[in-house]
Amino acid sequence: MLRRYLAKRLLVAIPSLVIASLIVFTLPRLIPGDVVVLMLAEKAYAKDLEELRAKLGLDRPLPVQYVEWLGRVARGDLGESLWTKRPVLEEIGQRLPLTVELALLGLTFALMIAVPVGVISAARQDTVQDYLARSAAILGLSVPGFWLATLLIVLPAIWWGWRPVSGFVEFSRDAIGHVTQLLLPALILGIATGAALMRLTRGMLLEVLRQDYVRTAWAKGLTERVIVMKHGLRNAIIPVVTLLGTQLPQIIGGTVIIETVFGLPGMSRFLFDAILQRDYPVIQGVNLVVVSVVVLVNLAVDALYAVLDPRIRY
Amino acid sequence: MNLSRRDLLKLGGAALAGASVAPAGARAQTPKRGGTLSIRTWDPPHFDPFGTISYKTHIALSFTHSRLLKHKAGPSVVPGTFSIEGDLAESWTQPNETTYVFKLRKGVRWHAKPPVNGRELTADDVVFSVNHFLTVKGNANAYMLKSVDKVEAVDKSTVKFTLKEPFVWFLDMLANPHAVAIVAREVVEKYGDLKKWESVIGTGPWMLDSYRPNVSLAYVRNPNYFLPGLPYIDRVEMTVDEDNASRMAAFLSGKYDLGWEFPGTINRVDWVQIKDTLKQKRPKLQTVEFVAPVMSHISMRTDQKPFSDVRVRQAMALAIDRKAIIEAVFEGVGAMNPAVPAALREWSIPFDKLGEGARYYKHDPAEAKRLLAAAGYPNGFPGTMCFTTYGSTILVDSMQLVQKDLKVVGIDVKIDQKEYGAYIATCFYGKFDSMTYGPQTGFLEPDNFLFGQYYPEELKNQSHINDPVVADMLVRQRRTFDPAKRREIIYDIQRHLAKHQYYVQMPSGVYVAVWEGAVKNYGPNMGYDYGGRLMAAWLER
Repeated sequence: MLRRYLAKRLLVAIPSLVIASLIVFTLPRLIPGDVVVLMLAEKAYAKDLEELRAKLGLDRPLPVQYVEWLGRVARGDLGESLWTKRPVLEEIGQRLPLTVELALLGLTFALMIAVPVGVISAARQDTVQDYLARSAAILGLSVPGFWLATLLIVLPAIWWGWRPVSGFVEFSRDAIGHVTQLLLPALILGIATGAALMRLTRGMLLEVLRQDYVRTAWAKGLTERVIVMKHGLRNAIIPVVTLLGTQLPQIIGGTVIIETVFGLPGMSRFLFDAILQRDYPVIQGVNLVVVSVVVLVNLAVDALYAVLDPRIRY
Repeated sequence: MNLSRRDLLKLGGAALAGASVAPAGARAQTPKRGGTLSIRTWDPPHFDPFGTISYKTHIALSFTHSRLLKHKAGPSVVPGTFSIEGDLAESWTQPNETTYVFKLRKGVRWHAKPPVNGRELTADDVVFSVNHFLTVKGNANAYMLKSVDKVEAVDKSTVKFTLKEPFVWFLDMLANPHAVAIVAREVVEKYGDLKKWESVIGTGPWMLDSYRPNVSLAYVRNPNYFLPGLPYIDRVEMTVDEDNASRMAAFLSGKYDLGWEFPGTINRVDWVQIKDTLKQKRPKLQTVEFVAPVMSHISMRTDQKPFSDVRVRQAMALAIDRKAIIEAVFEGVGAMNPAVPAALREWSIPFDKLGEGARYYKHDPAEAKRLLAAAGYPNGFPGTMCFTTYGSTILVDSMQLVQKDLKVVGIDVKIDQKEYGAYIATCFYGKFDSMTYGPQTGFLEPDNFLFGQYYPEELKNQSHINDPVVADMLVRQRRTFDPAKRREIIYDIQRHLAKHQYYVQMPSGVYVAVWEGAVKNYGPNMGYDYGGRLMAAWLER
């Protein structure tokens, strides 16, 4: 049944991806500025503008360019960067692992913050711990990541002369150094998501803890730990998992700033540079990869429901 | 603080004193081999010196490539002065006004990398490089050697240049780090262009060891460098650091040996915030202050009304409150600029010698309104101002102040903000309808500031000036070999331009050059030549 459901969902995902591809293709062209002008700007030989535009295939109508691009995408070819002349897929392939690593670590931090704090906050509703946790969550939601990152970089340097690792360390060179340098950026990435998840965990758990079966569990004399963790949390966690799926684009969006601030050569920073340089194939390629990842993760989240809640059948 | 000319001279003196105290001790010490120097850098768009004007590329190549000549570097050099000495050239002569003959050093070897594998450099390499510089498509710096008629190898170690006409700045152009990096024909033939990092093969003091895009560049000492014993520093590590907070934290914690901004400085706005902390954390830091050569100006269509009327231009100059701009955007420390920026101390005219035109650098809105009324614009006039931010808040702030000042005298300016590429392709080269506001490249000699911007039909003559008096003086200074006489002509040009206000010049900030005390025998200066300034430095950690 699950397999049939997934197949159906995959089929539904195809039109979504096609629509997304249209948006992904069109939006970069709406950014003011012209890649051809940018490429020739410092060379000051404007007569070559049209020649270069033709060479890059940018002189043809947009719909034609779109259809051609889509055809190539279907064959697994995302084109080549207008600036580096290297295949976009290859460029993404080099940078994607770091961004995924950062996003996963960010999600891990988010969960590590959200679930325990949410549970304590719900189990100790209207106590000092609850108020503190809720205030912290609002703070976490309100503080922009780039500002927090700046503070966490500059203040320790001023106070203690400590600084985060700058200059990217590859895993193959120094595994511990590699993971260490990702901890702070991942924590900053995870804070806002963690705050949102914590508020939802608390809310859902409070609702579950007021259910009749929980009252019965109390009457049976079960310990608080068993009631909250086994009977409460498991039922409260499904919406949290849903939210986790929808938070992924936010986390990936966050990596654009975080990778720039911490000097991490990931896919998001590559996208940022590509936007500045109007490198259309790269912008399109990266966004298409992100959209595909989001669609697939949401699919995985749907599949996870059945694991978390045996009542759900596909 | 608003720096007067006298203050500036004092500042220069202080700079010299500051620079000479530590190195005086340093000179008494024995240079020490070894160590790693750490600097913040920018990711080069590519590594072809003939394919970009980007400072990111030229700074990176200043460590690896030689030129025929170079600017003298070291602690005894006063920032803002650029005396010339041989780099690959051991000596040179000038048999007549249009001929230069360079004798190359013997035994100069290319980096020990394929395809040159450490072979000896010859005059043919220099000839190839100069011709490549002049003819390769897309070299925006080619104009620097426009005066060259032909270049030839007289023998294995002699190169002869013949110019089309006398050009006294020829040697300065050759010494400029924007200009000809000497490259090997085999490398160009192997790589096509020189964009790949693997093609970074020169005869310079360091060799590019690794390049990680957007992350770092690392250089190792060239063991076969032609100056015996140099360089002293074994390894130079350059980190690409695009975030100011990260750079500041890294500097505070001692990671970088030079200030993180170009050229080894710290922005004053950051400096003011962290200097006390730095005194505690890095007490051995050395500092020198000198005026920046980057100067913004308002350019305008002087070939069209209303800007064709000199009174309108003078009114605009009088409308600008330069002291307020220095206060607001340069933390109160800046310098007023005539047509040649104050930073070029040997050529910029002191304001007390500027004569009649000096009055137009004072803020006098009442006089500005009177002049506008006399020109037939009692209520001012509307106009557009082409602009791009260059990603600089300083530039945006100063532009807004300019807009406000012009509004006060009735000139209602609408900002036409363009994306960087579009700005460079149009307004930077004079393609605009009314006005443009923006910075000029921080050149190291006055000719680039004057000839390019004021000679009729020149590419960077943004204000569309066609003034025969100026044109005549511009040509004359290019043909006057005696520096004192040339200086007088350049002073006369600035006096003339001050009266005519074809461009309305803005003040410049004052750099705070900062470096770790352990870096001995180093002296900061303007320009891209990081490698040249560090070549004879050593580390005393």
